[in-house]
Amino acid sequence: MQANQPAFFKQGPKPLTRVLIFSALSLALIFGDANYQWLGLARDKLSLALYPLQWLATTPINAVIEGGDFLQQQAQLVSENKALNNDKLAAKGMAMRLQALEIENANLRSLSIARESTPRRSQLTKILYNSRDPFAAKLVLDKGQQNQISAGQIVLDASGVVGQIVRVQPLTSEVRLLSDRNHMVPVIVARNQLRTVVYGTGRHAPLEVRNMAQNVDVQVGDQLLTSGIDSIYPAGLPVARVTRVERTTGNAFARIYSEPLAKIDQHRYFLILDAPTAPPPYPTEASAPKAKTK
Amino acid sequence: MPISRQLLRPAGVGFIFCSFIVAILINLLPWQATAMNFSPDFVALLIIYWALNQPRRVGVACAFFLGVLMDVANGNILGQHALAYSIIAYLALVRQRQLAIFPFWQQALIACALLLLSQAIMVCIRSIMGEPFVGWGYFAGSLFAAFLWPPFSNLMLMYQRKDAPDEL
Repeated sequence: MQANQPAFFKQGPKPLTRVLIFSALSLALIFGDANYQWLGLARDKLSLALYPLQWLATTPINAVIEGGDFLQQQAQLVSENKALNNDKLAAKGMAMRLQALEIENANLRSLSIARESTPRRSQLTKILYNSRDPFAAKLVLDKGQQNQISAGQIVLDASGVVGQIVRVQPLTSEVRLLSDRNHMVPVIVARNQLRTVVYGTGRHAPLEVRNMAQNVDVQVGDQLLTSGIDSIYPAGLPVARVTRVERTTGNAFARIYSEPLAKIDQHRYFLILDAPTAPPPYPTEASAPKAKTK
Repeated sequence: MPISRQLLRPAGVGFIFCSFIVAILINLLPWQATAMNFSPDFVALLIIYWALNQPRRVGVACAFFLGVLMDVANGNILGQHALAYSIIAYLALVRQRQLAIFPFWQQALIACALLLLSQAIMVCIRSIMGEPFVGWGYFAGSLFAAFLWPPFSNLMLMYQRKDAPDEL
């Protein structure tokens, strides 16, 4: 009977069987991806296959924006050019002072034991698109393994830290933004060198400084800079500005909210800093000579 | 496709494939993150549409592979979209014979329910992973999709409704 069935009736396994198989497969994928990161290679290959689509989705819009730039008015360009020239003069003056300061700083450093913090090289990159995933604050950039990007590199814009690269694929990479939930950055308060950590609380939500005593010396308007303690973020990059400090009696800690300085939503180009040099090993034994015992 | 007298041209594999490419493109558009809560998941919508109209071509397996693609594109946990899409494709297939002849407004309600379910599955997966709840606004896109369903179905049928040559 089975053999005589016309091909039209043969449909393979029933939908229920199929959904059970594929649900089991998806659960295995979820488990494998969340716990063991086995699937990096498969993800890389698939992302390579997706790249033409990603390119196609973003390029026409960029072309329209760039076309608009092309048709900008002459007068606007001239005035902008003037302003830029003035800025350049001012910047040159600053740069001359900076050179002198750098030499002086190098001298001072050579006197002290502190290791020289060499400036890192950086690469320019463009936002490909904003991830559709509402659970995490992430961006997808258009540089990947082919441009020697690796996970852990820092992403900046002109005004501050944007985030950190968390996943790299052959042609694209993902940035976890400062505002992603529980993203921590070790910072110092620029005004009084107070050391602390700033936490992200979610996309479009303010950053938070936690576990600081009620009487802590932080004021609205204080700038937070990276402290460089974690050896991931180089020291001295602007991160955020304090926007609100709540000291309610009854809470053990003050609630300090701040706003990222980087203008993540306003432009499309970022800088990726090269990976940090390895920090010196953590001292396993006391390096000071032991106190003499009698 | 509700009951009608009109004979439809068959939907080829190529047409289905192209429609999915376009849906993925729409999901990848850069403004998706700003309009996120109001733009429905077009890939899921299309999976439901094809599962209702071409159940022999588009089924659970197809939904699964599209889900994996969306996971990679969005950079979230691998398998999250795959699970949600396979389940909604299955639910659409189980009642396909009944749903396929409903008028569009009734299909819209079903599609909306299925999209909401797919989002609920994703929320469940993410909360098991320890992410916070993203707020009820997340589900707005699926409700919006219900209004989109009749024009969307008509658009998709435009190609098939072209008059067949009069050789018959």
